[in-house]
Amino acid sequence: MAETITIRLKVNGVEKEVAVKPNERLLDVLREKFYINSVKAGCLRGECGICTVIMNGRLVKSCLVLAPEADGAEILTVEGLSRPGKPSVVQRAFIEKFGFQCGFCTPAFIMAAYWIVENMPNASEEEIKEILNSMICRCTGYKQIIEAIKYAIELKKQA
Amino acid sequence: MRTVLAFRTILPTFTYHRPSSLAELLELKAKLGKDAAILAGGTDLLVDMKMGVKRPPHVIDIKSIKELHVLEYKEGSGLIIGPTVTLRELETNSLLKEKYPVLWDAVRKIADVALRERATLAGNIANASPAADSAPALLVYDAKVELTSVNGSRLVPLREFFTGVKKTVMKENEVITKIMVPEPPAGAKGEYFKAVRSAEDLALVGIAALVANPNNPAERVVRLAYASVAPTPVYVKEVEELFKKDEPLNKLIKEAVNIMLSKVSPISDVRATREYRLHLVKYVTAYLLRKLLGVK
Repeated sequence: MAETITIRLKVNGVEKEVAVKPNERLLDVLREKFYINSVKAGCLRGECGICTVIMNGRLVKSCLVLAPEADGAEILTVEGLSRPGKPSVVQRAFIEKFGFQCGFCTPAFIMAAYWIVENMPNASEEEIKEILNSMICRCTGYKQIIEAIKYAIELKKQA
Repeated sequence: MRTVLAFRTILPTFTYHRPSSLAELLELKAKLGKDAAILAGGTDLLVDMKMGVKRPPHVIDIKSIKELHVLEYKEGSGLIIGPTVTLRELETNSLLKEKYPVLWDAVRKIADVALRERATLAGNIANASPAADSAPALLVYDAKVELTSVNGSRLVPLREFFTGVKKTVMKENEVITKIMVPEPPAGAKGEYFKAVRSAEDLALVGIAALVANPNNPAERVVRLAYASVAPTPVYVKEVEELFKKDEPLNKLIKEAVNIMLSKVSPISDVRATREYRLHLVKYVTAYLLRKLLGVK
C-alpha cells in the first residue's frame, strides 16, 4: 500500500512535481513539500476553515482535498499575495483595520478576503458574512475582519 | 476507542483510482464492489475516513470522467444533473434559481461556500443522511436517480431511494450517473425552510414546500418533504391528495399539519430534542403553507 503517485502542482506561481501518497491531503503537501506554513491543520474535517486556500480560483478547504485530486491544480496561498516588503491591498487593509488578534486564523481569512475582493467587488456586509461562515476565528475578532474586507474593497476600487 | 479514532490525523491508507471514462468506472466498481468508495467532492467521505467511520481499501475519484459532468435543462423534460456537478455550480446557476427555486434554496443553505465548491448534489443524496438538505427539495420535484452498473441503467424515484440512516437501494456495483428533476408544475413556487442553530450547521428540521395554483382546487399542487425528522428524508403523498379537495384552505392546512405529525418520528440528539423538532414541524409546516397558499 506504500504506492506513491506523482502530481504536478503550481503553488503561488511556482510549478513543481512531487511524489505523494494517496492518503496525503493537499494541506500536507503544501506544508511538507512546498514549505507553505501559512496553511494550518485545525479540525481536519472541514469545519474550522483554517486550511483554506484558493484552488483554481475557488475557495476550498485543503484538508478535504486529497493530494492526488489536486494534480494539475493552481494553488494560491497568502505567501503568493505579496512581494517582499510590499503587502497586498487585502493585507494592508487587515493591518490598518486590526483584522486579526492572535493571528492563527489570519492566513485563511486573508484568502477569503482576497477571494471576496476579486470576485465580489460590490459585496454587502451580509454577503461578506456569508462567505466568512466557512471559517472560524477563535478570538472572535469578526467585526474588525469584516471592516478590513470592506476597506480592502474600497482600496481596490481606488487603485 | 471512538474518541481515539476521532483524533486521528492521518487518513487510513487506500489505493487511489482515477478512471477517465464511465466504462472504466463501471468495470472497477463491478470488480471492487463495496471495497471501493466513490470520491466526488469528498466532503463526507474524507470526514468519515478521518473519523474512522469508513476505511475503504479503494477510493475511486470520478472527477476526471467528463461525461459525468452534465448540467442540462430542456423545456418539458426538465433538468439533468451529473454526479460531479458541485453545489456551488448549482447555487450560481440562474436558471435553477428561476425554474427550481426550492432546490436552489436548499442547495445554498448547505454547509458553507468553501464546502459547496467541492460537495456535489449526488454525494448529498448517495450519503443518505437523514439531514441531507437537498433531499426534501428533490422530493417535492419528484426527482429520479439513474443508477448504472456494468449490467445497465435503472431509474429509481428518489421517493423509493432511501431505505434507512445512510442506507439506499444502491447495489454494490452501482453508481449514480444522473439526477433527473422533471419540469415543475406551471407557476410552482416554494422554499426550503432550514431550522438551524447557526448557518453552516446541520438542520434541526428542514422543510421543503412547493405550491402551484393555490386558488384552483382541481389544478392545485401542494407538496411537502422533510429532513431530520425520521431515519430517512420524508415525503408524504397524502398531503398532495388532501389539497385536491375543494375545501377551505385553513381547514386543509390544519389537516396537513396533523398528517405530517403522524408521519414523522424525530429523535433527540445534541442539536434538539424530539419535542422541539415536533414543535418545529407543526409550526413551520403551517407557516409555510399559509405563506405559499396566500392565507392570512
